[in-house]
Amino acid sequence: MKQFSYRHNKESELMTQMEAEEAVSMPEDELFSFADFNAADAEKTGLSNYSYWHSTIQAFLKKKGAVVLLVLLAVLLIFTFIQPYLPNQYDPNLIINDPGGMQYRNILPGERFILGTNSIGQDLWARIWAGTRTSLLIGLSVALAEALIGITVGVIWGYVRKVEILLTEVYNIIDNIPNTIILILVSYILRPGVRTLIFAMCLTGWIQMARFIRNQILIIRDRDYNVASRCLGTPAVKIIIKNLLPYLVSVIMLRMALTIPVAIGNEVFITYIGLGLPVSTPSLGNLINEGRALITSAALRYQLVYPTIIVSFVTISFYMVGNAFADAADPKNHV
Amino acid sequence: MVNYLVKRIGRSLLTLVLILTIVFCLLRLMPVEGYFPNFEKMTPEQIQIGLDEMGLNDPLPVQLVRFFKDLLQGNLGVSRIYRANVLVVDILADKMPLSLKLGSLSMLLSLLVGLPLGALMARYRLRFFDKLGTLFIVCIQAVPAAVYFLFIQLYGTRLLDVGLLFKADDPLYWVLPAISMSLSNIAFYGMWLRRYMVDESNKDYVRLAKAKGISEGDVLFKHVFRNAFVPLAQYIPTAFLNTVIGSIYIESLYSIPGMGGLLVTVIKKHDNTMVQGIVLLYACVGVMGLLLGDLMMVMLDPRISLSGKEGDR
Amino acid sequence: MKKRRLTRFLFTALIASTALCGCAKKSDGNTKTTAVTKTGTPVTYTALYPREVTTLNYLVTSTILDHRIPANCIDTLVEYDLDGKIKEGLAAEWTYDKAALTWTFKLRDAKWVDHTGAAAADVTAHDFVDAMKYALTPEYESASAQNLFGVIANAQEYYNGLVFNGGADDSGKIWAPIDFSEVGVTAVDDHTLTYTLAAEVPYFLSSLVYVIYMPAYGPQLEELGKSFGTGADKMYYNGAFYLAEFAPQEKQIMKKNTLNYDSDHVFIDVLERIYNAEALTLGPEMIRRGEVDYAELTADILDDWNNNEETKKLISRERPKTDYSQFYCFNFDPQFDASYEPANWKKAVNNENFRQALAAGLNRLKSVSVLEPDSPDTYIINSITPIKFTYNEDGKDYTEFNAIAALGDTYDEAGALKFKAIAIEELSAAGVTFPVKVLMPYNPEIPNWDKESQVVEQQMEALLGADFIDIIIEPGPADNFLTEVRRSGKYAFMKSGWAADYADPETWTDPFYQEKGEGGYKPGYKYSFFAKAIEDNTKTAETVTEYFALVDAAKAIKVDTNSRFEAFAEAEAYLINHALAVPYSIQVSLHLANKLDVFEAQYAPFGVSWMRYKGMTVKDHYISMEEYEANRK
Repeated sequence: MKQFSYRHNKESELMTQMEAEEAVSMPEDELFSFADFNAADAEKTGLSNYSYWHSTIQAFLKKKGAVVLLVLLAVLLIFTFIQPYLPNQYDPNLIINDPGGMQYRNILPGERFILGTNSIGQDLWARIWAGTRTSLLIGLSVALAEALIGITVGVIWGYVRKVEILLTEVYNIIDNIPNTIILILVSYILRPGVRTLIFAMCLTGWIQMARFIRNQILIIRDRDYNVASRCLGTPAVKIIIKNLLPYLVSVIMLRMALTIPVAIGNEVFITYIGLGLPVSTPSLGNLINEGRALITSAALRYQLVYPTIIVSFVTISFYMVGNAFADAADPKNHV
Repeated sequence: MVNYLVKRIGRSLLTLVLILTIVFCLLRLMPVEGYFPNFEKMTPEQIQIGLDEMGLNDPLPVQLVRFFKDLLQGNLGVSRIYRANVLVVDILADKMPLSLKLGSLSMLLSLLVGLPLGALMARYRLRFFDKLGTLFIVCIQAVPAAVYFLFIQLYGTRLLDVGLLFKADDPLYWVLPAISMSLSNIAFYGMWLRRYMVDESNKDYVRLAKAKGISEGDVLFKHVFRNAFVPLAQYIPTAFLNTVIGSIYIESLYSIPGMGGLLVTVIKKHDNTMVQGIVLLYACVGVMGLLLGDLMMVMLDPRISLSGKEGDR
Repeated sequence: MKKRRLTRFLFTALIASTALCGCAKKSDGNTKTTAVTKTGTPVTYTALYPREVTTLNYLVTSTILDHRIPANCIDTLVEYDLDGKIKEGLAAEWTYDKAALTWTFKLRDAKWVDHTGAAAADVTAHDFVDAMKYALTPEYESASAQNLFGVIANAQEYYNGLVFNGGADDSGKIWAPIDFSEVGVTAVDDHTLTYTLAAEVPYFLSSLVYVIYMPAYGPQLEELGKSFGTGADKMYYNGAFYLAEFAPQEKQIMKKNTLNYDSDHVFIDVLERIYNAEALTLGPEMIRRGEVDYAELTADILDDWNNNEETKKLISRERPKTDYSQFYCFNFDPQFDASYEPANWKKAVNNENFRQALAAGLNRLKSVSVLEPDSPDTYIINSITPIKFTYNEDGKDYTEFNAIAALGDTYDEAGALKFKAIAIEELSAAGVTFPVKVLMPYNPEIPNWDKESQVVEQQMEALLGADFIDIIIEPGPADNFLTEVRRSGKYAFMKSGWAADYADPETWTDPFYQEKGEGGYKPGYKYSFFAKAIEDNTKTAETVTEYFALVDAAKAIKVDTNSRFEAFAEAEAYLINHALAVPYSIQVSLHLANKLDVFEAQYAPFGVSWMRYKGMTVKDHYISMEEYEANRK
């Protein structure tokens, strides 16, 4: 049967061409030579130049708003860390005295103090940056810890069938413990401090990440490419690391990005109820609560307004960047 | 169905017991001084008598067993420090109604405003309304609640010409606390509904409907909304029941005598019986909320079967 | 579709109906008859309060916060007038029999009322006896029972008899149970009450305006036992006011008691106190809107209010109190964590030059100005006893006695550095490592103490050098701070306070003095743990022994007030001169916005008189600073 295929046509064309060339006449040994056999080449299949990350980044860059925020956020982060090394910066805890020996109380923002001072003469500019450092540190630590623990547990939970029932039961039980209670009790029993806060927030957060990962794994565990890998004998760990995790990176990063504002919110809450960080460690939670007491005096409101602006900005940025990134990472959005 | 319910309830009870045990043990880690408000002025003999009476000198397992026995008889014990010698049940029953009322009002408000907000944002996706809505949601979630509640109180009371503190009998006074409480829920429902609706809109049956010529609005509100609402529905009973717990910020600002700050106060005062009572309440509320939420999902969406795996939301 | 709609509708209806039916429910029917002034409308005084009382049972609690309601609702045997002189209260007259150590009081007619203001019973002398019996019953855990030990005859014996029931206590002393009739309080008849003292107590009369000596209706105490004072309806009242409503974390409402013998001098009809956890934040705003009659103004917003013409005239102050003094203590028995080097601190603190360096290095003006920006110098004192606290019979103020008058400002920069130099020499020889870690905790719930600590830390380290001392400030637990920090010895150098219990210089030795018992020194009130220096036989042992001896000598003088004052003055001067404690300040009187003239109130250096509203009138405007100063004269 005659086959009408592109390849067939091309073949016949080539044959015709070769016959035409043959008319020019070459000796046989010049016409034919042994083809090289390259084992690696034999395995090559059609390759498209689709790169997941490349497309993700391109899709992300298309969202102008998120890009702007990301840049601003990066600038903020960098500035937060280099601020102490700039010239003319006061130590956040240092009480600055006037020539008479008394502290500079409640000075409004001006030339001497960029953002003013608080009621015992500490420079607000330095305190805000120190506070941002602390809060970001807490947020990032919590996000990382949650991610590590959550992913490990979630992957095991989703992939290894034998453990699944047990872990599901455990999840159902732990999930029901109200977060607020654990947060408050832990902060109360261990003395308030940065490590206590991180510990308490991780305790309540990892389970959600684990469940989320587990759900995602369940969805893709039985997809063809994974089944194929299993058939080929790939060890489970390798499947997890090479097949499953890259798929999940985008959603993991989204969750991590969202953890940071949540951690800051929790910190403000814990400080509000009096179990927060000690006064020698400025944090955004401390600053906001101190500033709240002054809200009724219009002139002193700056002590509340500036920390709030920073917190809001950080929260908004992480949300929007995180969301934009998640949208960009969704392969359905790759053109 | 019945089978499932029985299993669920059994599991919930187990959870309750576990939570109570954990909290019970944690509480006994607290230092002894906390139990006596006047510790420094008491003689060691008085202290021992007090501890004996509270049963704290007995070994832990004995205390646990006694606690559960009492619990089964409905006896939650007596508060020692928060309000000395008053039954825990009485204190809770006293404070719950107000928190519940306020919470219900704010829930109603958040549903009535949040759901249409999300739906309209999905309808006019990427257009002006969506952007405005996103701005609103983002602001609510970014600014710490403690701050904007205070601003609302200060400026809202001037606007409405009411006093700063709450008065239960005057309906005008309910407005500001209810609005404040509902704001973050409005943002939550708006954001997630929009997302779920957008996700649904990408599905095949929607394409088919559009291809058939049904208008965008009709598609959204008749098909998409109903499907998108399902995953949200599971949170509603939990949110409703959580109103029992009250909001600590709002209640301290407006002097509302509800459940809000109760937990924190009693933990700080080492009032074990109160903490246990409140934890029991929270846990019951949480467990019941989840159960009702799942039931609601089943009622709303016949595709979901309870014995299947939990969804990916 | 239909199913969804139906479900949603039902659900919405459920929520709506719950909310609405809740609104319809009316609150409790607590409408009482209110006493009305001549003009027809009741005079109300409204205030916010941020911390709720723990109990209304005044016989068991020693928390000052809990005393405000009993102070206004229960009359005591005697009262104080505006100038601090004792006058008749429930007792119309009294006599003292020195030989028998017995005070006899003749009571006037008075009635107990309940929470509706209706008469419930007569007040008799038996009520005082029953109240004291209740307080001395160990089962009820009265925290102020100790005030009676050693003062009222056989009070301690009765109490410990019930506790040990014939057994022995820690020091081996046997306490056999005795009958209550042997305790030194008797009701001779319905209107005659006697107190028999265990020893000569010169200040007994002045200590009667305190909760432990308040009466309570006997039969009600019997009936309610532990639940006495757990609600407004679980008490009776005989004072200027009665407690009409008590909803914890909500409000406290006291109304004028028209059946009180002195009700003509009570000018407020309703005292309304509303609970609000944010009272310090919202109070000032409510003052601006005229919604409350009283609010405390913290130092933070003071500057701002002073700068604004409108708010400036709303500021006034509390009446200065002379019964509370603050001082810095050195801890001789450190029990804190090893990371703060307690052994090192112990060696350092026992060296007098080290202590003198710290004492001279504390700039009190600077740190007090955190709380009192305007005139910090008026609050600083050079002795432990405040000025104008107590006078001898000639009217001479105790602090004018030579020994105390000679004390000057402890702050001395040059002197501090000199002492530091000597201390470094001596201590290095003893093996102390520098910088010495100085753990200085603070209570995070007390407003601005955290800020004050930072100021002190930076100022002292700047002056003395961070290579000499390393002050570490730490927040303690907010609840039970005193128990967990000071009493447990978990501090090195810390600001502490003491409130006088009676009008005599002896009360100011109570924090420091430790009585020598058979088994060693008694712990006392656990401030500095001086006795540890003696037990360890350190360098300071001699100094401390000398101090105790001086105090013992002073206590022994019971008759001649002059010599008694002299002796106590000497002991106190000795304490300060050897840097065993650093005097600091009296309690800074708060800035307030207030519609009451604080000088119209009863005044006493101690006890509960300062909380009483009897005799005060509510003005129609907030008192300004000028008015306050004018009233002071």
